[in-house]
Amino acid sequence: MRVIKGVLEEELENSRQLKKEYEKALKALPRGVLVKKEIGGHIYYYLMQREGNKVRFEYKGKPSKDEIKKYDEAKRLRAKYRKLLADVKKQISFLERALRGKEIRSLS
Amino acid sequence: MEKRYALCLDVLKRFQDAGILQEVILVGSWCMHFYRDYFKGVKYMPTIRTRDIDFAVPTPIRIKKRVDVAELLKDEGFLVQFSGGRGFQKLVHPELIVEFLVPEKGRGIDKPYPIPQLGTNAQALRFLDFLIENTIVIDSEGLRVRIPHPAAFGLHKLIVSGRRNDKKEKAAKDIKEGVAVLTALVEQDEAAGIREMFCKMPVPWRKKVVNALAGYEDEDIVSRLMILLTVS
Repeated sequence: MRVIKGVLEEELENSRQLKKEYEKALKALPRGVLVKKEIGGHIYYYLMQREGNKVRFEYKGKPSKDEIKKYDEAKRLRAKYRKLLADVKKQISFLERALRGKEIRSLS
Repeated sequence: MEKRYALCLDVLKRFQDAGILQEVILVGSWCMHFYRDYFKGVKYMPTIRTRDIDFAVPTPIRIKKRVDVAELLKDEGFLVQFSGGRGFQKLVHPELIVEFLVPEKGRGIDKPYPIPQLGTNAQALRFLDFLIENTIVIDSEGLRVRIPHPAAFGLHKLIVSGRRNDKKEKAAKDIKEGVAVLTALVEQDEAAGIREMFCKMPVPWRKKVVNALAGYEDEDIVSRLMILLTVS
């Protein structure tokens, strides 16, 4: 049982570290999402960002392909990291509950 | 487990598409999955419970292509993590941890071994040369993977189990995995191959193998393998 406790504690520490890494990675991504609007037959790009309860649109004109690619990639990564962060949080929750369990606590 | 397995295959497929899978050797417990294609007609049912997916890189590094592995796996959600205080790099994901290893030479080094061709670094490990020098190639699930010969894998697991001083459960797991693969080889009438490889090992390594086996729970299996490994 002590062996299991050790394994769970190690896994919990690793998961907490991974949570920090995903939170850091999310903060490092460029903020906002590029939105395309067609006005009068022309395509214009706006950077949509949340500020508190409000949504702000910043006009970007015709950004370069690299810039469009950068924001597209950030959007995909943001979705991915959020999902994985949610998985890691569930993992942490599970491990914390397991380590609070009566049999495991009795080994302290 | 299904998610982990699918992700492992995806990592290998990306390495293959990038042209680097043949330059590295998949080592560690994930090899056991691919031994299913080696052990045909023999009862062999591995259960893989590890998050670690390790790749051995022969030194000196002869990889010609330049591939940033962190970039390659980024959109699967792998992040670069530095650990050990010395900057050992890993690629981490909730389901898997990708790490690169190189053989430890001489007295050993406790700092990362750079692999600029892959945009990462590696940890040096003792006895890894033994795996690198004895490999097979398996064609499975659209992949062509280099893995250690099962005899080398099994004997190596027994050797390294003795080095897990503070992690008894990992030592027990190493012995169990080593014995499972060696037993499957014996059942496939390849006992002679195990013996040949064992006899070529330095004596201190052979002692480690025998010591590890002596502690295994199943006495029948222990006696079968001990007879095989007795060198006169």
